[in-house]
Amino acid sequence: MTDGWEQDLSSIGPSDWTPERARHLLDRAGFGGPPEQIARLAAMSPEAAVASFVDFKAIDDSNLPAFEHSNIYDPSLTPFPPTRPAATRLAAETGAAMGVAAKPAGPRRLQPVADRFFFWIRASMLETRRVGNWWADRMVATNRPLQEKLALFWHGHFACSEEKVRDYRKMLAQILLFQQHGAGNFRTLLSAVARDPAMLVYLDAGQNLKGHPNENFGRELMELFTMGVGHYTEQDVREAARAFTGWSNKDLTLHIDDAQHDFGDKTVLGHTGPFDGQEVLDIILAQPATTNFIAAKLYRFLVRDDLSPQFQDRLGDLLRSSNYEITPFLRTVFLSRDFYSSASVGTHIKGPVELIVSTYRRLGLGATPGMPDFNSASTELGQTLLNPPTVAGWSQGRAWITPGSLLARGNFARAMLLPDVIAFTDPNLGPYPSQLRAFSARIRAGEDIATASKIADGADAADAQRSTMATANLLSAHEEFNTRYASLKGWEEAVRRVRPTLRRAAQFSLTTLVLEGGARSTTEAVDSLVARFLSVPLDSETHDAAVTFLEAELGTTDLDRAKTYLEEPLRLTAHLIMSTPQYQLA
Amino acid sequence: MAKRILLGEIGRRDVLRAGLIGLGGGITGFGAGSVNEAAASTPTGVGSRVLVVVELSGANDGLNTIVPYTDDAYYRARPKLGLRPEKLRKLDDQFAVQSGMAGFERLFKDGKLAIVHGVGYDNPSFSHFTSMAYWQTGAPNSGDPYGWLGRLADALDPSGGDNFIVDVETRQSLAVRARAHVPLTFFQPDHFKRDATYEEKAALDQIGNRRTARNGAETFLFDVAASAQRAETHVREACAAYRTPVDYGLVRFGLERVAALIAAGFPTRIYYVSYPHNAFDTHVNQADNHARLLTYTSDHIAAFLADMARIGRGRDVSLMVFSEFGRRVAENANLGTDHGTAGPSFIAGQLVRGGHYGTMPSLTDLDDGNMRFTMDFRRVYATMAATWMGCQDTAPVLKGDWAPLPVFEG
Repeated sequence: MTDGWEQDLSSIGPSDWTPERARHLLDRAGFGGPPEQIARLAAMSPEAAVASFVDFKAIDDSNLPAFEHSNIYDPSLTPFPPTRPAATRLAAETGAAMGVAAKPAGPRRLQPVADRFFFWIRASMLETRRVGNWWADRMVATNRPLQEKLALFWHGHFACSEEKVRDYRKMLAQILLFQQHGAGNFRTLLSAVARDPAMLVYLDAGQNLKGHPNENFGRELMELFTMGVGHYTEQDVREAARAFTGWSNKDLTLHIDDAQHDFGDKTVLGHTGPFDGQEVLDIILAQPATTNFIAAKLYRFLVRDDLSPQFQDRLGDLLRSSNYEITPFLRTVFLSRDFYSSASVGTHIKGPVELIVSTYRRLGLGATPGMPDFNSASTELGQTLLNPPTVAGWSQGRAWITPGSLLARGNFARAMLLPDVIAFTDPNLGPYPSQLRAFSARIRAGEDIATASKIADGADAADAQRSTMATANLLSAHEEFNTRYASLKGWEEAVRRVRPTLRRAAQFSLTTLVLEGGARSTTEAVDSLVARFLSVPLDSETHDAAVTFLEAELGTTDLDRAKTYLEEPLRLTAHLIMSTPQYQLA
Repeated sequence: MAKRILLGEIGRRDVLRAGLIGLGGGITGFGAGSVNEAAASTPTGVGSRVLVVVELSGANDGLNTIVPYTDDAYYRARPKLGLRPEKLRKLDDQFAVQSGMAGFERLFKDGKLAIVHGVGYDNPSFSHFTSMAYWQTGAPNSGDPYGWLGRLADALDPSGGDNFIVDVETRQSLAVRARAHVPLTFFQPDHFKRDATYEEKAALDQIGNRRTARNGAETFLFDVAASAQRAETHVREACAAYRTPVDYGLVRFGLERVAALIAAGFPTRIYYVSYPHNAFDTHVNQADNHARLLTYTSDHIAAFLADMARIGRGRDVSLMVFSEFGRRVAENANLGTDHGTAGPSFIAGQLVRGGHYGTMPSLTDLDDGNMRFTMDFRRVYATMAATWMGCQDTAPVLKGDWAPLPVFEG
């Protein structure tokens, strides 16, 4: 298996360039593509092929629409109270919150305020699903796939979640930042992220105050964003946190409050001075540990998991030599022998979003289909865009795969090839727990709120586990408002106002793709599907099982005789091929 | 009755030897009900015992879990978050649990809950991910690729028998990663299913067959595919068929699924369950949230053990609860607590000798605001691995020799 190319960063030559290597480049620098795209890349020189990915700024992207906002936000929602109790308390004390007044008299005086709180929580969550879908559409449609691949990488690196940020606008702004700076200079990117509102909220910048430093950002900055464990002390974390005191956001911009900033001397990584946040970033960026860490993490994401310490140092040298510029670093990587070595090719386990996007790109689709729902599908496989599980982002590689997720990946293929149009419901119209449905039905049937709440509480406590919010609702009862009713009203208004998502099955014809590819027999049909959907060879046992299956479905080995009823059998065969372990690899 | 007294006495003496704290009424014998039950069921061999590990992710605030309500230092450090004695469920004259933790109180008073105090390790990490990795590998600073439960499984069954480890999570934990075993990882059993039409089934069934792999990633995928193929139907059917009158609480984070598999006769000896999403990371406004988390945890665990007793497996199953570290002694300026060091771990089950183990760290003699750990977490692991699971040589499992605690009869 060894080809002597491992750990060799020198460039491959023109004679090394093959369709298989072109496919590898397309898989890793992008999200894969159909056979004709592989052929186009294979016809170029390796340098030109790599340039077609890394020099993406020259490529037109006017086909990619900007995100279309629903009409859900208005400035009265800022600042948004941290919790529902904080919202109703504010209204009780001041007479209003989030632009909504408490009723002067009567029962449930604070109900409109509670309704308003839940409206925004629900609306932002639903709109975030639309942002995720919009981004996935870009990944499928873009002619600059490396731009989106890197944005996806940085999203996992500087991982922030809407579940805590509670504002899709901040999350969208952060993704735009990754798209804008993701292939530029890491110094620029890091400095921008440290000022990014989603990050400021996510790591509690608002709580990092002079005299009461909150170490959340300082710690993750060193551990996860730059150097990694072992290159700093707890003291460095605490001192760095002091340098960022007073930094927070005013809605969508950085706001530095001098009164809350600690202007005293700090000692960080051996340097002492009255540092502010940027100066601490500069100290961290000057550490070789940072270049090594970032270079290795990029390499693991794009190339392979297994890196020797010596090779990590060489990757760090490479990123240092480009002074943190990502594009020249990646140009060298994508042309290198190591990138095309047997240690790298066909050893990468695709992440959920990558798997889904690459499937659509290999079919030549221009966007994600509305059916299956993109976010639900990727969540089922273990990844929800804009909602990483923790600030450490997603563990890559083998961590994606469990027996359950492997089955789920095959099920995604089936849902894409043969969507269950009968059972399909639009998840953007509300993932309502069943007790909410029961409550809504009772309210609509004319029951009073108190009675309807009591009955609904007993309806299905199991649903409560789906979100902490739901359980919080169950436990809180307050005479000035009804939380369950507020939740219902919040859902209703959010779903009324959030823009619809087109729900349509993917439009493609495997019959056309297979026949136009020149296949004449069932064996050639299977070969054609394998070449389209897999990046590694299929074992002969599964290959033969697929041929036998297709032949049984068609009643012949001759595709020409079966061409009028070929589509469904081909889709079932594709499902079989995409249910294999090999489908996960690139 | 003689048996009850005997167990109580042995328990008390050993616990005293182990460095008992809380000399008051904390130690009691088994309750009458449990003794009858224990006497009624035939003791089973160590080789069929089951270990259930519960992870509380996010660093549980141990001081507000097992509350030292007679210690003024506690209230001085926590003027706002300190829980007043009248709002607590008292375990004895020194410690109490939060009011929502009726389940833990019952277990303790029945003598089925061991509280191990001050659990941690030297040179603690304050990072969730690092400290959790230390706990999960059982080997701080080693970067070990396998988890301590994975190594335990490898030691107990080097042949890598089917479904020896079950991990009820959406993502496989490092704790269960093994050399010889492919842990069965699933979260929602009804999703643990290959969707296929009747005609496809024969062709799909051969996907789980072993084949020659081209590289390590492919080997891994083939192994997992084989595991999925073998387990798919069993897990789904076991969970769907399971009926229990026991209420597992508002947040069922996985133990009811463990119960279903145990009841269905799974050969699994190690189960791993997590309260996920860093839920216990209570930096801000922690009081209500932490109270809820503990209520759900306590309800869920107590229900599981009651359910095990109900199906006659109480003597075969023990459960261990941990969190990657505790919180700082003093509350912060945001009505929450920041990352700290040592905290309590728990061992519960029918054959557990309940009571206090180890020494509660001082709340005044602090290391930069943090408690000094008094019990290495690997001693808790050694208790489960050696005494409970019968692992003859735990040195390779725990990367060293760690003395078990006398929580179980030897």
